Amino acid sequence: MFFALTSDQQAFAATVREFVADRFDLDAVRAVVEDPDGDGHPLTLWKGLADQGALAVLVPEEHDGLGLGLLDAQVVARELGAAVAPGPWTTTVLAAEALRLAGSPAQQAAWLPALAAGETVGTVALRGEAGSWDGRSGRGITVDASGERLSGTASPVDYPGVAGLFVVAATDAEGAPGLYLVEAGAQGLSVRDQRTYDGTARVGAVELADTPGELLSGGTLSGGEAVGAVTARGAVLTAADLVGVAREALTRTVDYDRDRKQFGVPVGSFQAIKHTMADLHVGVTMAEHAVLFAAHALDSGETGDPATDIAVAVAKAKASDAAWAATGAMIQFFGGIGFTWEHEAHFFYKRARRRAPLFGSADEHRERLAALTID
Amino acid sequence: MDLSYTAEEEQFRTELRDWLAGSIPPEWAEPGFWRSLDDDESFRLRREWEASKTAAGFSGIQWPTEYGGRGGTPGMKAIYDEETVRAHAPQTVNVLGLTFLAPTVMAIGTPEQKSEIIGPMLRNEVIWCQGFSEPGAGSDLAAVATRGVRDGDDFVVNGQKIWTTNAMHGDKIFTLVRTEPGSERHKGLSMMLIDMDQPGVEARPLKQMSGASEFGEVFFTDARVPVKDCLGEIGQGWRTAMLLLSFERGASGVGQYTEFRRQYDEIVEQMRRFGRSDDPVARQKMANCLVELECLRYHAMHILTQVEQGRDLGSESSMTKLQWSETFQDLWEAFDDVLGPEASLERPRPDVDLTPYQAQAMWSRSVTIWGGSSQVQRNIVAERVLGLPR
Repeated sequence: MFFALTSDQQAFAATVREFVADRFDLDAVRAVVEDPDGDGHPLTLWKGLADQGALAVLVPEEHDGLGLGLLDAQVVARELGAAVAPGPWTTTVLAAEALRLAGSPAQQAAWLPALAAGETVGTVALRGEAGSWDGRSGRGITVDASGERLSGTASPVDYPGVAGLFVVAATDAEGAPGLYLVEAGAQGLSVRDQRTYDGTARVGAVELADTPGELLSGGTLSGGEAVGAVTARGAVLTAADLVGVAREALTRTVDYDRDRKQFGVPVGSFQAIKHTMADLHVGVTMAEHAVLFAAHALDSGETGDPATDIAVAVAKAKASDAAWAATGAMIQFFGGIGFTWEHEAHFFYKRARRRAPLFGSADEHRERLAALTID
Repeated sequence: MDLSYTAEEEQFRTELRDWLAGSIPPEWAEPGFWRSLDDDESFRLRREWEASKTAAGFSGIQWPTEYGGRGGTPGMKAIYDEETVRAHAPQTVNVLGLTFLAPTVMAIGTPEQKSEIIGPMLRNEVIWCQGFSEPGAGSDLAAVATRGVRDGDDFVVNGQKIWTTNAMHGDKIFTLVRTEPGSERHKGLSMMLIDMDQPGVEARPLKQMSGASEFGEVFFTDARVPVKDCLGEIGQGWRTAMLLLSFERGASGVGQYTEFRRQYDEIVEQMRRFGRSDDPVARQKMANCLVELECLRYHAMHILTQVEQGRDLGSESSMTKLQWSETFQDLWEAFDDVLGPEASLERPRPDVDLTPYQAQAMWSRSVTIWGGSSQVQRNIVAERVLGLPR
C-alpha cells in the first residue's frame, strides 16, 4: 500500500512552488487582478512553467512530452491554486488531453509538441450557455450535415482571448456528441469577453457561426466517451487547484490568528476559532486525499467504470466545498482587514467561488453519486 | 501510488476468508440477529467464537509470535478488519484489552505480566475492562479521584469508575488510581491491574438511551490490589496511560469504511422501499454521506501508508476520530431525513422491522463523545497540528 506522492512527485511540487514563489508572488498576482483589460496571461510565468515541464506533464514522450500521469499533473494544479496564479495552464493541459485521448496520430503530431512547449495556448469549450457539464442539456454547439462546420455558443470558456486552439464539444447532425478542433482566427469564430470577479483568470463566451472544425477521431476514445473523459480530467485538475487554494487560505489564516491579539490574547486561542479551523483542516485534508485518489483512478482506469466515476465525483464535490469553506473563513477570521481590496483574501475567495462550479458543481457531482449508488 | 497489498497479504486474505466462510452461521448476517439475543447469551456466543478464531490463528494479527500473535503486517491487519466486517463477524468482546492493554504490557510490562496477561486475553479466558473515566473525570482525565493507599504488599483502592465497556462481563480492569495523597492532576497516579472478582469491586450496568447496556459503573470499596499488579512505575500512571492511548492509532479505518458503506447501502434500500429514492434533497443528503465515507476510506489508506513507512502519526489520530465519528453520526441522521416519519416507527409495515436501524441511529449519538469527544479532538487538532495557542 502506498497512498502518497513519490519523492519525485514531491520534488516536482517543490520545484514549481519555489519557481512561482520566486517569480510570481502576490504583488504580481495583484498587478494582473488590477488590470482587467489585460490578457491575464503573464508571459514570464508561462515561459517559466513551460521550462519546468509543467505543460508537458501529460503529453506522450513521442510528442515531446514527459509522458507522466494525472497524479503528476495535479501536483502543478495544486501549486498554481496555492499561488492564485493566473494563466491558461489548466485549459492548455486539457486541450492536450483531448488530443491524447481522442486524436489521431496526425492530429497529435500537429498540435501536441506546440502545446507541450507552451508555444500554443489551448482551451476547452465543453458547455453550452446555461447547459449542463455532462451534456444532458444544452450542449450549445452543433455540427452541420457536412460534419465540418460548427455553430453555436459555448460558455464559460477560460482564456479564449489568448487561445490558439479550441477543443469544442459539439453535437453532430445525428445527435451524437464529439470533440472538435477549431483554430483561432477561423472563419465565423468570435470571442466575447464576459469579465469575471475572479481577476486571476480571463473568461469569455466562444461564438461559432458556420466555423470550420475538425472532429477528433482515431484515438483511444471517441464521441461522448471522449467528452466525458476530458470533462472528468477538468474536474480533477480543478479540484486540485481548489485544494491548493483551500490549503493556502487555511495556512495563512492560521498564521494570522496565531499572532493577532484582541482582548489581550491571540484570537487563535478562542475555541470558536480553533474548532472551525480544526474542522477546516480535516475537510481540506480529506479533499487532498480525494484528489490524489481520483487522479490515480483516472491514471489506472477510465470514466464509465463506476469506481472511477465515483472517485472523480467525490473529489470535485469535496474540493469545491472545502475551498468555499476555507476561503470564506479566511475573510471571516482576518476580520475587517480581510474584506478590504488591499488584502489578498479576496483573490483566494473569488478564485474558489468561480471555480467551484466548473466541470460540475458539488451539487451536480453529488447527484452523479446518487445516480451511481441509489438508482 | 500503489493501492495493492502484497501477494503474501492477499494469500492471508484468502485463508481468512475461507475460515470465516466456514465459521459464521448465515443468521449472524441478519440485521436484527444480535439484538434478538439476551445480553449474556450474546456475550457468551461472541466470546466462544472469538476463542475459536484465536485457535485458528486469526487473532493478534500484528502481534509478535512470541506472544501468540501472527506476526503479520499492518496491511494484514487492514485486510483482517475489512474481511471480518464483510463476513458479518461479531465485534471482539475484549476490545480494550486487545487494543490498548496488550501492546502496553508488551512494551513496559514485567516478564510475569507478559506471560500472565497476554495469552489468556488472546484466548478470551480473561475479559479486560478499562477504568479511566470517573463521574468527575470525563474529558478531563487528569481529574482522577479514585485513590489507592499502600498497606503492606497491597494497595487499598476506593473510588468509582464510569462508562466502563463490558463492566458486567469483565474479569479484570486496568485502572488509573491516585496513589500519592495530596497529588494533583497528572502527578501521583498509578496504573493498576485489578481483579474484579473480589468483594471490594462491584459492577453495575448503565442503561443507555438506546436501551442497551454496553457500559457500566465500577465501584471500588477497600478493593485490594497487590503492588506487583501495577503496570509501569508507581506514580508514573499518567505516562503509562498516554502510552496506552497511543495504541489507538492504527489502520482500523479500512474496517470502519467497510461497515459504514454497507450501512449506507442498507439505508438506500429503505429509501427505495418507501419511495424516497427520487427525492432530490434526500439524494443530496445521502450522496454527501457517501463523499465523507469515501474520504474516510482514502484517509485509511493514507494512515496505513504512514504506518507501513514507520512514521509517527502524532495527533493525526484525532483527525481520524473526527472523520469517522462525525460521518457515522451524519449517516444515521440522514436515515431519518430520507425516510421521514417512517424512520421512527419500529414496524411501519408488517414486513418491515426498523429496530436494528434505530439502534444504530441512537448509538451514533455516543461515538462523538467516547474515546475523546469531538470538542476535545478539535482542540487537539487546532493546538498540536495547526499550532494555535492554548
